[in-house]
This record gives sequence, C-alpha cells and structure tokens, in this order.
Amino acid sequence: MAEPSDPLRFRYLPPVDGLTVVRQPPPAGAGSFSATYVAPAGWGFDPPGAEGTARLVNQLVAIAAGPYDRVALARRLDRAGATLNHQSAPESSEVTVWGPADAWEMLLELLGVVVQRPRFDPDDLRRTRRQLVERQLREATHPAHRAERELLRGIFPPAHPYRGTGLGTPGSLRHLSRERLVRFHREHYTSEGGLLVVTARAPAEAIRRAAQRSFRSFEQTRGPALRLPRVPGNRGGLRKVDLPGLSQVELRLGGPSIARTDPAYPAAFLANELLGGRPLLCRLFQKVRERGGLAYHASSDLEAMRYGGYWLAQAGTGADRWRRVVPMLEAELRRIREVSPSKREVDLVRESAIGEIPLSLESTAEAHELAVDAAYHRLPEDHWRAWPAALRAVRPGEVRDAARQALGSAGMVTVVVGPLRGA
Amino acid sequence: MARDRVPRPPTRGFTLANGLRVLLAPDRRSPTVSVWVWYRVGSRNEHPGITGASHWVEHMLFEGSPRYAKGEIDRAVVRVGGELNAFTDVDFTAYYTTVPREHLRVPLDIESDRMTRALITDGEVARERTVIFSEREGNENWPEFRVEEELYQLAFREHPYRWDPLGRRDDIAGMSAEQLREYYRRFYGTRNALLVVAGGFEPEAVETEIRRRFGTLPEGGDDVTVRTVEPAPRGERRAELSGPGTTPYLQVGFRAPALADRETPATIVLDAILGGETRLFSTGAGWGRSGEHPSSRLYRGLVDPGLAVRATSEWRPRSYPGLFTVQAQAAAGVSLDRLERAIHRLLTRLAHEGPTPEEMEETRTKVRRATALAYEGASRTGFRLGYFSVFKSPRLEDEIFASILRVRGREVKARAQELFQPDRRVVVRYRPTEEANGG
Repeated sequence: MAEPSDPLRFRYLPPVDGLTVVRQPPPAGAGSFSATYVAPAGWGFDPPGAEGTARLVNQLVAIAAGPYDRVALARRLDRAGATLNHQSAPESSEVTVWGPADAWEMLLELLGVVVQRPRFDPDDLRRTRRQLVERQLREATHPAHRAERELLRGIFPPAHPYRGTGLGTPGSLRHLSRERLVRFHREHYTSEGGLLVVTARAPAEAIRRAAQRSFRSFEQTRGPALRLPRVPGNRGGLRKVDLPGLSQVELRLGGPSIARTDPAYPAAFLANELLGGRPLLCRLFQKVRERGGLAYHASSDLEAMRYGGYWLAQAGTGADRWRRVVPMLEAELRRIREVSPSKREVDLVRESAIGEIPLSLESTAEAHELAVDAAYHRLPEDHWRAWPAALRAVRPGEVRDAARQALGSAGMVTVVVGPLRGA
Repeated sequence: MARDRVPRPPTRGFTLANGLRVLLAPDRRSPTVSVWVWYRVGSRNEHPGITGASHWVEHMLFEGSPRYAKGEIDRAVVRVGGELNAFTDVDFTAYYTTVPREHLRVPLDIESDRMTRALITDGEVARERTVIFSEREGNENWPEFRVEEELYQLAFREHPYRWDPLGRRDDIAGMSAEQLREYYRRFYGTRNALLVVAGGFEPEAVETEIRRRFGTLPEGGDDVTVRTVEPAPRGERRAELSGPGTTPYLQVGFRAPALADRETPATIVLDAILGGETRLFSTGAGWGRSGEHPSSRLYRGLVDPGLAVRATSEWRPRSYPGLFTVQAQAAAGVSLDRLERAIHRLLTRLAHEGPTPEEMEETRTKVRRATALAYEGASRTGFRLGYFSVFKSPRLEDEIFASILRVRGREVKARAQELFQPDRRVVVRYRPTEEANGG
C-alpha cells in the first residue's frame, strides 16, 4: 500500500514504550528531513528555588551526549550537513534535528542519543550557566525582554508555571548541581508523556522500527503532568520600568487566556488575527503604524498552550509617543471585545489565514512545525486539512464572544518599559 | 567524485529591451510561487544629507501608486494568504512576495506597477518619518547595533559604507518628500532591477506575462557605480561606547575584500574556521547563521575558557571592500582588555601557523553540505538566485564554491597575515553602565 504523501495529514503510529510517535510526509520535492522530540520538561516544572533548571537541561542536552563531547557532536553534525536546535517553553522542552533526507536514520539515532544520554559535562555546565546569567542580564536591561517578563509576572500569581521566563536568577543557577540536572532529566525526558514527530518520506513501519531502535533507553517511562493554580481575576494594573539611556519604549498589554483545545479556539484565533495577529491587515498595525505613524511594530499574540494560555498586544515606540499609543491599544481591545466585527473584515482575515497554508509547505522544516504543533496538542491527524472548515464555521458574533473570553476577560496588565523620561 | 558546482534548480534567464534582467526557476511540484525584485540600489548610493533614503523609499513602495491606493498592496497579497516584505542593504534593496501558486498574477502586477509609479506623497512621507524613527530606535536599544554603526563609521571615512542603511538621525529628521522622489526617480528603473520568479508555474506562460507587464516600462535607472575609493587605513582606530547593556561587548574590524575579489574564497574559509560557519554557505533550514559552533576557534579560545559567552566572526558579501569582523560578548567579570588581548592572540596565531589540515577539510565538508539543501522551497530559491545575481549572476555562487574547495591552507594563512594586521584594525568597545542594569 502506498504511503500517504500529504504533509497536512500526519499519522499517530503505535507508541514505542509509551512514547507517542508521529509520521508526517514531507512536502513534494523537499530534500531534507526533520525530527523533534518533545519532553514534558518546560520551565513550569522547575522545582521551587531551582528556577532555570529546565532551560539549563534543555541547552545541555543538545550540547554533548553519549560518545560525543561538544566538539565531537558539532563535528558529527557538520559532517552530515545537519543541525540540532533546542528550545524550552513553560510546558515543554524540545530538541529538533534537521538534515539531508538520505541520512534520516542516522540523524534519528543521533536525536535518540542526545535526548536520552546527555553527558552534563562539568565544563559544559559551567559555560552554559555563564551564558544563562548573561541572558538574565539581557532580560533585565533590554526593554522588549524586560516588558515580557514584567507582563507575565503581572498576569500570573507566584508559583504559576506561566509566570516565569525560565531563566531563573543568578542565585538559583548557582545552586543547580549536576546531580539535580541529571535527576530533572531522568524525570522529565521520558517516553510516556513525550512525543516524537518525524517528517520523512520513509514508510511508517520503517520510522517506527527506527524509533524502537533509538528511543528505548529512557531511564523512566512515566512523565509528569503540569498543575496550574487558578489565576485570580483581579491582577490587572500598570507596571512601569524606567530604563534610561535607551531609545525605544516597549509596551505590552496582556492577560490570561484559553488552552489550545478549548472549543472557542478557532474563534479566538480569528479574534487575535483581526486585532494584531495577521500581518499588515490587523487593526493594531493599521491604526498605530499605518494611520498613526506612531510605531514600527504593533501586533498581538495568542499563546494558547496545552493547559491554559495568555494573550498580549505589543508595540515599540518613542519615549515621546508611548502615552499616545497605550490608549490606542486599549481602545482596539475594547472594540474587539464589545463590537461584533463585520463579516467582510472577518472574511478577509479568515481567507488570508487559510490561503497561507501552502506557504507552510515550502520546506520540510516549515511543514514539520505544523505537525509538531498539532501533535503536541493531541489534535486529530487531519487537523490541518480540517482547519479551513473550522475557521469558515466561525460567525462574526462568535469572534467578539471569543475575544471577551480569550483576549482579556479579566485582569488585564499594562507594562511600559524603556526610557520613560526621554531618550 | 565530489561535485564542484552548487546543485541549483534549472533556470531560464533573459533581458528585456528596457534592460530589466529576468530569471525564472520553475518547479512544477511547488505549491507556492515567490517573486523577488532586486534593485542594485542601497545605502552606498546615498550621501550625507540623504542617508537612509534607500530604506525610506523601500517603505514608501508599500504606500501607494495611482493603481494601488494606500494599503491595497498589502491587502492584495495578504488576502490570498501571501506574505510580502522588503529589506535594504548597503548594496541593494530587495522586495519579495510569496503566494499560493494560483495567485502569481498578484505580485507581478504590483511589482510592474511600483517599479516606476510609486507616488511617495508629502503626507505619507511625513507619517512614515516617525515609523522610520521607531525602527531605528528599536535597533538602538541593542548595544550590538550601536557598536556596529560606530565600527563602520570609524572604518570608512570616504566610502558610503560609512553609514548604516537605516540612515542618520539628522537625515531622517530633515529629508524631504521631494528628495525621496528624486532618489526614486533617479535609481529605481529597469536597468538597475532584477526580477526573479521561483516556484510552481509554467515558464512559457510566465515569460509571456512578464514581457507584457514589464516590457512596456520605460528604460531607466542611473548608473549605481560607486567611484569613491576608501583610502587604506593608516593606523589603528578605536572608540569606546557606554550605555545600558549586560556585559562588556566588542567588535574588531579589518578591511576585507569584496564579494567578487580573488581573495574572497580564502577569506570565507577564515570566517568558517574562526566563527564556525560563513553566511553564504551556512547549514540549516534558514538563511544565515545557525547557532553556536563549539568546534570553531573563537568558541574554543574565548567561550570554552570562560572569557566570553558568545564569540563569532563575520565576513559580509559586499560589492566593494568591506569589513571582516570578530565579535565577542564578555562573560560576567571579564574585562574588555582581557577579552581583546585573547582575540588578538587567536588571530595572531592563525596568521602565524595557518589552519590545520583538519580545519581545511572540515570547512570544505561544511560548505559542500550546506549547499546540498540550499534551494529547498520557492522563497529560498528566489532569494538565493537573486542574491548572487544582483552582484553578478547565479554562476558567481559556483565560482566561489569551487574556489573554496580548491583553496589551500597556505593561501588561508597568507590571507590571515594580510587581513589581521593590528595597525589596520578598528576596535569598538561597549561598556554597560551600571545604573542602567535595571534591577
């Protein structure tokens, strides 16, 4: 039987020791391969007082593993023409390997070594810790990073997994011993609760066999689940941070939001696209930049995750203009929540979102991101094929209702960071 | 046998009577089509008083023409799911639009219109001025931008590479709409343009369409050659900056060859050995550098021993001689003096000893591997074909690629000796001010 070849339909294969395995066909003509392992190892799992653990582990995992020290691993990848990327989020951490399609089995095996047998060499630990300390400083001193940090602290209560940015503090990093990192890795880089997404032309059975060969050495199979404390509804307010000597003020407005699997998600997605998510067409871009000429960037994001989420509107503007921009952002937020958008406006944004799907199929790496996203949220195999119909089923009134629910139902926080008294 | 050509998709090239160069790279399997227009106009064609004009004109080309009212260009593309943007470099300005393949007509119509008919009205220029300021201010928030701007200003006293494509603050404040219109009329024209179409389309039909839409445009575009030659530096140049930031940071620059110069392949090898990869031939799904390179000399010499948290080198392809830079962010507690001395030792050692045979072989392998997947997808194909063609032609990529594979270790050593001379370097150091560290 011929293997499916539609990159918009991935397939859940029988799990390997509890590890969810997904196969996605690559786009036609693509010569590259991608595979991602996602672990329930985001910084929301950082033990109290040990903030920074998840990021540090994730970074170290991708540096040296099994027989490869950091230089040997780098050379192995270079020789294959491959790359290894890692990233952490509040709920999960992931490692992605990308390279030539004809080397897919070797690269998948390498990914298995990396995520199951990291070395945590003392030199790597020292160096990576130094790098994270510098990133902490960057977060404190750069307006865009600082604004995001302040926003999350404003929205979420202490101990909430979404409250931090995962970088920890100099003190928390100092106390992270190798043993603690090894323990975190053992408990969080697991088969059950983990996810392996493979975008390759190889048949499903060959991929599953390769996964069986390469992903059977997890020390622990059962992965943890995240627990979210309730977000109080009255945490709103204004936070201002003056960073003199800089040029631009960064603005963020945000609040708690819905999970990706919430039934209101398609309507909330459109509400966000309309507000500030759809490049060039969205209201914030049109009002703040195109008509107001007040900022280079003005947009919004809806971060709908597995267990919950948050949304934010953002703009970067001059020290003499931020007082005019904040009310503009607030007014647009009120409008999207209170007034049903016209069918014409919804149609424009909706058809744009549907029309761009082919652009995600230009390369294996881009198509792969779609599959990782859908599989992480345990969405159906035909999710991306069915996505246009889901969007077309949304009525304008539902967009407004979803905005009320997902874009600032309560406790909106406003953050202003930068040279508040002038550049 | 190892190949000595880059595996590129087949192309069809032709030049219209009005001087417009066209490159078609059809791939019937592609679900998208990507249209790129490259103008051989960049900040090199500006002068004090109108620095930033190329970038500003780039913005204005989205703001309307007699056929497309303000906002209609964006709407026409985005409503069909396409994406569009543009960027301005020192040597060129590029506009791109990628759309689902059935909508190819949309970008062709837009590009044929705005090549000669952008309005650039007084009102839109006035409104866009603050947007341009805002873009520049966003960049100024980064110490890396401030250091680099200072570095080029120090390194070039005559040549227009002296200023950043964003332009100087005073010029952004003072430039008039008429100056921008004049700049546009002077340089934007068929003779200075290159049209690249890549992705899912029928080449015969599209060639006909291009001839119909672009063939009737008037011939235009002044000579963009820069005749100013930057004198050889006499002595080291240095500057110290301070402001908000994390840890001390520095860039060291050395005068480097232009893209088509014969010294370029050895310079690229030096970049790969020092920084781990080189911009023209980097591995990965994106364009540009793909991350840390623990096997590179700068990483092993600065990051491993705890002197820096980041360190890399960069040689940027340029039409005229530019800079080869080394950049490093100090680890907390490490002084700029110590970091600079360590960089100097590393460069001196490379110049005295040359690269090892292993480093040469690794570089060849990396470059070979990087080119294997460089043309995946219509957008990347359009970008890459246009990039080399705006400097010369797609074959320039093959020439450089083949030269890199042939270059010998002793040539790289000689290049390092020529390049890394302390009395010709430019150094800009950045000290974070304590009071700005937020808390």
